[in-house]
Amino acid sequence: MNAGLRKYFPYAIGLLLFVALAWAVSFDPPPPADFTFINGAEIKSVDPSKVTGAPEGRIINAVLEGLYRPMPNPDDPTQMIPLPAAATGHTLSDDGRVYTFDMRQDAYWVNPDGSRLRPVTAEDFRWSWMRTLHPATACEYVYQLYYIKNADKYNRRIVEPGDPVEVELSDAPNPDQDFPRGTIVRGELLKIDKPPEPEIPAGVNDIRRGKIMADWNESWVYEVQIDGVTRKFTRADRPAGGVEKCRWLLLDFNHVGVKVNDKDQLEVTLKDPTPYFLDLAAFYVLYPMNRECIETHGFPNWTKTENIVTNGPFRMVARHIRERIRLQKNQHYWDAGNVKLNTVDALAVESETTNLNMFMEGQVDWATTVPSAVVPELKGMPEFRSGPMMTTYFYRLNVKRKPLNDKRVRQALAMAINKQTICDRILRAGQVPARTLVPPGLTGYESPARLPYDPARARELLAAAGFPGGQSFPKLQILYNTNESHKIIAEVIQRQWRENLRIDVEIKNLEWKVFLDALHKKEYDIARSAWIGDYPDPNTFLDMFVTDGPQNETGWSNKKYDELIAAAAAQGDAARRMQMMHDAEEILVDEVPIIPVYFYVSINMVQPQVKNFHSNIQDIHPLHIIEIDKSQAGKAGGRASR
Amino acid sequence: MIRFLLKRLGWMVLTLWVVFTVSFFMMRAAPGGPFSQERNLPPDIERNIAERYNLNDPLPLQYLKELLRVAVPPFDLGYSYRLQDYRVGEVIAQGFPISASLGVLAMLFALTLGVSAGLMSALRRNTWLDYSFMAMATLGIAVPNFVLASLAIILFVFLLGWLPAAGWGTLSQVALPALCLGAPFAAYIARLMRTGMLEVLGQDYIRTAYAKGLAPRTVLLRHALRGAIIPVVSYLGPATAGILTGSLVLERIFAIPGMGTHFIEAANQRDYTLAMGMVLVYTLLLFLMNTLVDISYAVIDPRVKLSERA
Repeated sequence: MNAGLRKYFPYAIGLLLFVALAWAVSFDPPPPADFTFINGAEIKSVDPSKVTGAPEGRIINAVLEGLYRPMPNPDDPTQMIPLPAAATGHTLSDDGRVYTFDMRQDAYWVNPDGSRLRPVTAEDFRWSWMRTLHPATACEYVYQLYYIKNADKYNRRIVEPGDPVEVELSDAPNPDQDFPRGTIVRGELLKIDKPPEPEIPAGVNDIRRGKIMADWNESWVYEVQIDGVTRKFTRADRPAGGVEKCRWLLLDFNHVGVKVNDKDQLEVTLKDPTPYFLDLAAFYVLYPMNRECIETHGFPNWTKTENIVTNGPFRMVARHIRERIRLQKNQHYWDAGNVKLNTVDALAVESETTNLNMFMEGQVDWATTVPSAVVPELKGMPEFRSGPMMTTYFYRLNVKRKPLNDKRVRQALAMAINKQTICDRILRAGQVPARTLVPPGLTGYESPARLPYDPARARELLAAAGFPGGQSFPKLQILYNTNESHKIIAEVIQRQWRENLRIDVEIKNLEWKVFLDALHKKEYDIARSAWIGDYPDPNTFLDMFVTDGPQNETGWSNKKYDELIAAAAAQGDAARRMQMMHDAEEILVDEVPIIPVYFYVSINMVQPQVKNFHSNIQDIHPLHIIEIDKSQAGKAGGRASR
Repeated sequence: MIRFLLKRLGWMVLTLWVVFTVSFFMMRAAPGGPFSQERNLPPDIERNIAERYNLNDPLPLQYLKELLRVAVPPFDLGYSYRLQDYRVGEVIAQGFPISASLGVLAMLFALTLGVSAGLMSALRRNTWLDYSFMAMATLGIAVPNFVLASLAIILFVFLLGWLPAAGWGTLSQVALPALCLGAPFAAYIARLMRTGMLEVLGQDYIRTAYAKGLAPRTVLLRHALRGAIIPVVSYLGPATAGILTGSLVLERIFAIPGMGTHFIEAANQRDYTLAMGMVLVYTLLLFLMNTLVDISYAVIDPRVKLSERA
């Protein structure tokens, strides 16, 4: 090694270290926002058709706006109701199936730089719902649109001879993007030529079988009559002679129940009268997106802050992954005069302890979660805001496995759990023991409670089922996803069953994804579960457990239950509908394929200077109505300057 | 030198390929996938999603497609499965400077504190200063960095109120994490420095230097330090690894949006592309750091020849 080089080496290293230090400490923090809150996990996307979570919902509700949006009831702020947003109102047809929405004239799309682009129109909604329903988008919440006539056929690619169809040719300008679409030709489907159905070899798993069937499906040839000419289409590559390759062949979207009428109103035709449709219209999956923005930039680039076109009370001006999203007031929002916050920061902090630390120290104005172990100490503080929540914690029972296939065993297990103790001693935040699936607080609905805590009766039932005194009862397993609270609850229930029924169960925890895997494959005896209602109506809970429903996962099937749920969905009269659902739930709580344990409470930590924040059963807190009352600044006063 | 570097480059490419292959298959062997979640999807929607992400191809084919995409310029790591708005490259580009900043500060802190403490200990051997420094060093090595973080938060954030609890963006927010991250390494470096110094001070050439009448400071800094610092330099390679892994826990405690946070979340969420990107970046970093350390031996210590090292 060159001697000269060696001499200068220490100085070179010293310089390098100095430069590294200077770079590492060079920070340029933005000025603090008016309102800072912790949004939980980093959001998956800002695109409403790609997400399902609550953190995503909060951001989407801030930057976009649907026909309606969930707002506090002016008469009772603890109740959220859908209020007109991008629409000014609606009319409903006599049969309860056709909603006609009047569009707001001064609702605008804004550019990424904040300037006005153009008004929001009914066509924006029609196109956005088409995109959300399009199978290429693979939206997970798409079933919320299935209430619209023919929407499910469009999304699930169901077409039959005689149906009007739309064919997207393979000439899309950018094959990597689904939108803009290629040329669309419309016609009538004459017939489908299906090659012989493939033989599925025995013992092959579900995924492989799905793949074989999907390949076969792709090879079908569709004969379509377009403008008097018969053309053949297939989705497979390298089609035979005379057959054209197409990208998609779907039911004609013009036959799906959403259209723009000649008065520029949005006309939505539903399959059945759906009393909670306005709640769905206020749900972020039905929010609009700007077509030109998506077709120019594609997904996901349209969501970048330099590209995104929005219509909500705020604009997204900065996004740092897993750190913060900065929102700025949209000056062109139709209600901008009532939006009091200028900048809002949504932080992505996952650790519950860090959440609490940042709140206690005044760094954030609203924390959405706290470690459950310290809840009893926080309960007395005025910053601790909690209220009943539309969420149920329950144990799923695998009714395909012995002895859980015997109703008496399931009832015995349910009646031997002292849920009051669990709520009072372990949870201690005011949670309510549950004897029904549907939580209380839903207008017009009363749940039929069954199976109280009755260890004596439970023992009788167990004996009648063939296990007197718990003898020869097989050792079942309670499965839960790794979490301290779930573990403690499982241990308590294990102990209660041992004391009350003299049976032994073991408890096992699995990491979240592994747990979900076991649940989907039905490789469990008893599994911990929870369900948050999507909209304030019992149907969001009850339609989970129809036979082979995707959320059922217990193997339970009851024809009368299925009939009642289907009849309630088609029932126009509100009182009769509630009665049908009540009857269905009676079957559910009697047969107990699931053991309800408790109803959640929403827990939020809110600084005293934050106004217009109300606890409600859906735990929805619109950002644009929040106000900061500086005169009430407590500890945050000193730190807010950071 | 050039031959050495070329050989290293070859080894690096091989290592990256092995890491890629092992990670690819191991990740997919874990139950659960990026799209499994509590609300179940009807099979046709699942199929739509699977088609979009090529999950329907047989596994070896998926592997080859991904390898080709990653290995060939422009080294496209793809889109994150979970953070669907971002490419893996963008996530790394946002997270890397933050982690690097934290790592650099932690390392500088560790070096400064460790080297000076070790030096002083060696010079005042067997005095109370020496014993107390070494006792603290032992504690620093033994106490896990998240325990230290909790104690530090209680002390500096809540009792004294000097520093903020979490987050990133200002100098005061980086102080505590850098301290907690660097502390165990400062401790270890102090011990290494002390041992190295003691060994060098006993060497003949030091005695010669003193005999020649050189000032003690010149002897120490010019002659002794170079020899003594060899163990510390060689420790820098594993220390970088330690800082990278140690930051995983600390980033979560202090809500720092660095690579550690992304890495943990990617693993939990089965975000295959992001996790792969992270693994490859870490491998690259470690490899580079170790190579730099090896080169610096040859520069610092004239007795070492690169060809022997390689």
